[in-house]
Amino acid sequence: MNFNDILTMVLETLGMVSISGALAYLVGLPLGILLNVTSQKGLKPCKWLNFVLSLVVNVLRSIPCLIVVVLLMPAVRALLGRGTGEWYTIIIPLFVTSFGFVARMVEQSLAEVDKGKIEAVQSLGGTDFQIITKVLLPEARSSLVGGLAVTLVSILGYTSFAYNIAAGGLISGIWRFYSQNTGDYLSDPVFWVMIVIVILLVQLIQELGLAISKKLDKRRILE
Amino acid sequence: MNEQIILKIENLSKKFGSNQVLKNVCLEVAKGDIYGILGLSGAGKSTLVRCINGLEQFDEGTIAFNGEVVNFDRNYRRQVAMIFQQFNLLDQRTVLKNVMLASELFGEKHCQNKAMQLLKLVGLEDKVDAYPSQLSGGQRQRVAIARALMSDPQVLLCDEATSALDPETTNQILNLLLQLNRELGLTIIMISHQMNVIEQICNKVAIIDQAQIVESGNAQDIFLFPKTDISKRIIYSGHINTKVDNSKFVKLIFNGEIDTPIVANIIQDCNIALSIIYADSKVVNGRIYGQLILTMPADSRDATKLCKYLQLKQIHFEEVVASELQ
Repeated sequence: MNFNDILTMVLETLGMVSISGALAYLVGLPLGILLNVTSQKGLKPCKWLNFVLSLVVNVLRSIPCLIVVVLLMPAVRALLGRGTGEWYTIIIPLFVTSFGFVARMVEQSLAEVDKGKIEAVQSLGGTDFQIITKVLLPEARSSLVGGLAVTLVSILGYTSFAYNIAAGGLISGIWRFYSQNTGDYLSDPVFWVMIVIVILLVQLIQELGLAISKKLDKRRILE
Repeated sequence: MNEQIILKIENLSKKFGSNQVLKNVCLEVAKGDIYGILGLSGAGKSTLVRCINGLEQFDEGTIAFNGEVVNFDRNYRRQVAMIFQQFNLLDQRTVLKNVMLASELFGEKHCQNKAMQLLKLVGLEDKVDAYPSQLSGGQRQRVAIARALMSDPQVLLCDEATSALDPETTNQILNLLLQLNRELGLTIIMISHQMNVIEQICNKVAIIDQAQIVESGNAQDIFLFPKTDISKRIIYSGHINTKVDNSKFVKLIFNGEIDTPIVANIIQDCNIALSIIYADSKVVNGRIYGQLILTMPADSRDATKLCKYLQLKQIHFEEVVASELQ
């Protein structure tokens, strides 16, 4: 295993995380907004819709990622031409397993916005849509970015399951390295280099998320 | 004087579950009024102002604005702006952006000059790029006022707007409201549980208790001659001890005609000792208005002497017992 192999694995992992993360937000963000808006204390309470959406999210979140990977394999095959063996074949399972999580995080973040602010903008003549775009999302932005970092780290962890469908990436690379060097993998520096890279990736996402989240938060301005 | 009624509330009722929060509330607000709504916590006053601009729905009754029954669409809401106890600014926007929001919601562009003018009017022209977290409570309320004025409203509703502020800042905000009332002809409806806040700037007052308006009218009349128990309690609260059951008092009314140091004169001229139980006065156009409640001397001859003296000096007064004041 040389430098190029490791670089390829890192890029695969970054590809899996970023694309499935983007898809998860594409669906999870509107879903989270809808969950918040239709909740009992939301802008437009709607019991049945909230119930249905909650149910979907809860069920999805209850299925372990590995099972999602197995369940979706035929669908991935139909969609992308192959169900296993390439880095992109894990993206759809990662997306499906995480958008429910994203929806809950977004719902939580929006719930933190003070109701008084919403009323103030309503009293200025704001429409429901404007309340979402000009109050809920901007006021919760710092919390939303924090949630994004948590989501990406958790998806990074889920890329482990790429090993089961031979989809590559850094984490399955570490496992493969172990299975090919069961006797002396712990004394091989390559093994440790890969682990350090994983740790660095996680730290990078977390710290970057925290820094941006702090920078965006004008409730506490650091002079 | 021909008053133009800007807001007319008729038979407004509302229940939260089985809890009646407003019951047959009627209120007429004339253009240019500063109308104070006083009540203890939980009396329903907050719900009342929230009903006026549609933040809360009501079960029965009507609200008419300039003679027309309102439908609470967004154009009506712009005419009846509101400020809040907790200011409710958007924390992630600068002061200027907060003020401009009111126009932004209606897709109005080029509103920056107007926002700057309003911030100047409320005395915050040097804070336009600050964020709300960098401002004091009083400054935040000024931003909220500027934001509310952005849509050129005819009525400004103030929901306990000074209750989170210290006394000095409260005075500054009240003076600003008074200035807006005079300069822009802005009609103001303010609710508060603090009698001194209402007394300071309101020309009309309604007192609300247990979901109903128990008294309303000119501020002067209500503060000088409160009729109902609850009004007396709010007006004299904390000043008159409820334990002093049947003690007799004398209540002097200042209607702008007295300009002598009255208590000092009584003590000097009649040679009797007096305790002041309650005093409240304000100067309007150089004249003193208000009331003073003194203990009636225990000695009946002294009491007669006092009453004669007051008659002689043509001071409006009445004898009251403690139980009547509560």
